[in-house]
Amino acid sequence: MSIMELNGGSVIAMVGKDCVAIASDLRLGNQALSISSNFQKIFPVTDRIYIGLPGLASDVATLRERFRLRVNMYTIKEERELEPETFAHLVSSTLYEKRFSPYFVEPVVAGLSKLPTSTPESPKFKPFICGTDLIGCLNFAKDFIVCGTASEKLFGVAEGLWEPDLEPEDLFETISQTLLNAVDRDAFSGWGAVVHVLTPDKVITRTLRGRMD
Amino acid sequence: MPQQRQFNPYSENGGTILAIAGADFAVVAGDTRQSEGYSIQTRYAPKVFRLTDKAVLAVNGFAADGNILVKTVKQRLEWYRHAHAKDMPLRAIARLIQTILYAKRFFPYYVYNILGGIEEDGTGAVYSFDPVGSYEREACRAAGAAQALVQPFLDNQIYFKNQKPKPGQSHPTHLPLDHVLSLVIDSFTSATERHIEVGDGLEIYVVLARGHSAQGLSNIPGAQEISQTDEGERVFVVRRDLKKD
Amino acid sequence: MEVQFGIVGKGYVIMASDTNAGRSIVKMKTDEDKIKALSPHLLMAASGEPGDTVQFSEFIERNLRLHHIRYTHPMRPQSAASWIRRALADSLRSRKPYSVNLLVGGYDASTDSPHLYWLDYLGTLVEVPFAAHGYGAYFCLSLLDRYHNPEANLEEGLETLKRCVREVQKRLIVGLPDWKIKVVDKDGVREINLDL
Repeated sequence: MSIMELNGGSVIAMVGKDCVAIASDLRLGNQALSISSNFQKIFPVTDRIYIGLPGLASDVATLRERFRLRVNMYTIKEERELEPETFAHLVSSTLYEKRFSPYFVEPVVAGLSKLPTSTPESPKFKPFICGTDLIGCLNFAKDFIVCGTASEKLFGVAEGLWEPDLEPEDLFETISQTLLNAVDRDAFSGWGAVVHVLTPDKVITRTLRGRMD
Repeated sequence: MPQQRQFNPYSENGGTILAIAGADFAVVAGDTRQSEGYSIQTRYAPKVFRLTDKAVLAVNGFAADGNILVKTVKQRLEWYRHAHAKDMPLRAIARLIQTILYAKRFFPYYVYNILGGIEEDGTGAVYSFDPVGSYEREACRAAGAAQALVQPFLDNQIYFKNQKPKPGQSHPTHLPLDHVLSLVIDSFTSATERHIEVGDGLEIYVVLARGHSAQGLSNIPGAQEISQTDEGERVFVVRRDLKKD
Repeated sequence: MEVQFGIVGKGYVIMASDTNAGRSIVKMKTDEDKIKALSPHLLMAASGEPGDTVQFSEFIERNLRLHHIRYTHPMRPQSAASWIRRALADSLRSRKPYSVNLLVGGYDASTDSPHLYWLDYLGTLVEVPFAAHGYGAYFCLSLLDRYHNPEANLEEGLETLKRCVREVQKRLIVGLPDWKIKVVDKDGVREINLDL
């Protein structure tokens, strides 16, 4: 019995053209028994950053609370909004604090980071995604990040479907198809899915119906 | 303390195989890397074998067992030819493989097999096996090290899982040869990219039923014809490079 | 072998639990109340390690009472569940973790909505329309998938509960003859006597 597979669940993030997407399944299980089909693993951090937390459900909740505290403290102290790169390092150091009794979660961060040329009148953003292992080793991928019990399957499908510079609607379709087809081959993930597409002017959130088996 | 000695008769040699059935053709492919742990033993060890003029077998898992299995199957097919003066039909080969595998139920051949070819009725077929001989006929199947990477991709692209057809239209049950070949190549380049045990070379066997033109092979360079029956079944092989890192 | 159920209906939550207390092969007690009323509109069913369940439930009960006294209002179900989850999560990484699994059911008087939460000893928290702990989960979650109706009135809800209890009594190898059933709704917490 692996702790990382106790509750099940998977998360994926993808880069598009001036947009990013992050998606997860909705299952919460206890080994082979499914408990809930509405367990959220992706949480908004700021208006432009989302974090996905696949792994042990208890630590998902604990880390969400912990990140919220740390982000609020940062925002109050610095009097400015947190950038995704900064948040990724905050995630990394939070996890590494528990190097020898880790949180059993492998976070995925997706966000839009403000470019230096950005002005309040014409804001400019660069898509950002990153993943870490359970002790905070950062992985800045340029294409996509996958995590969770279906990660192998997600790698295979994403490698086949993803292409650079997808527009938001195409990115939504790509990430949705990747996730749904991967979790359908995974016993520990599935039971519906949720997708967030972050664009400079809005966040599109859609809940997908999936196979219920 | 008594001394303990243990001999492990099995090993795992990586690699991946894949087969897809069309309406009147079958495609059976495998990479050519053979590895043990992190070491590459050879960059060219075929995993796909032509059995008859309309049957191709892909064998993946423990290479030593795989080679013996193929040898046995080929021998049994030769005996059949001598006895009946014809090639064994595909569905009979499938049942033969089951028998051979199950005969070693309690010391199994550690191999996953996929058999592809043309049935007696002229349809393309794929049969997939587990190590002890359970088998079923399918439209497509991936097995081996990168099964988890390739199979869900095939579900999506071959079976159109999670895709809704346009109103009034329906998904095709079989895809044309050129489309299938490009999916096979995409699957293996993807698997090579993300799996360390997959790479080096790709061998794609194409079995065409009688009357099927080799049209779909035209835009794939290097397709080589291996055999042709009097009735018109044809077997081709396409060899391509995969990344070697 | 403990079994507990929670079912949300229109404006209420039903909580049910067996009443056995045993040790090894000996049945010690057959009228143990495993569902605690934590506040005027909050119920909690606990199962797990015998000593821990009582100790932990009372710890939670006193702390929620303290909150009620300090702030002159009881905690809402959502907040209470989160607080309990945190207590379990902190306990999990302590020297001696509590091994207690919980169902928390409550009626939120400020939004007029019933809520049910599933928690386990790891600190997993999830809001659910129906839940079960123990072997009852393996027998009855499929039943609840079929028969649960969030719009059902109390009578219909209790009928669904009866199906579950009967299934457990029919198929679980251990006999669980007596059950304690409690309901929380806008009028607060009350016990219900049912012919099972």
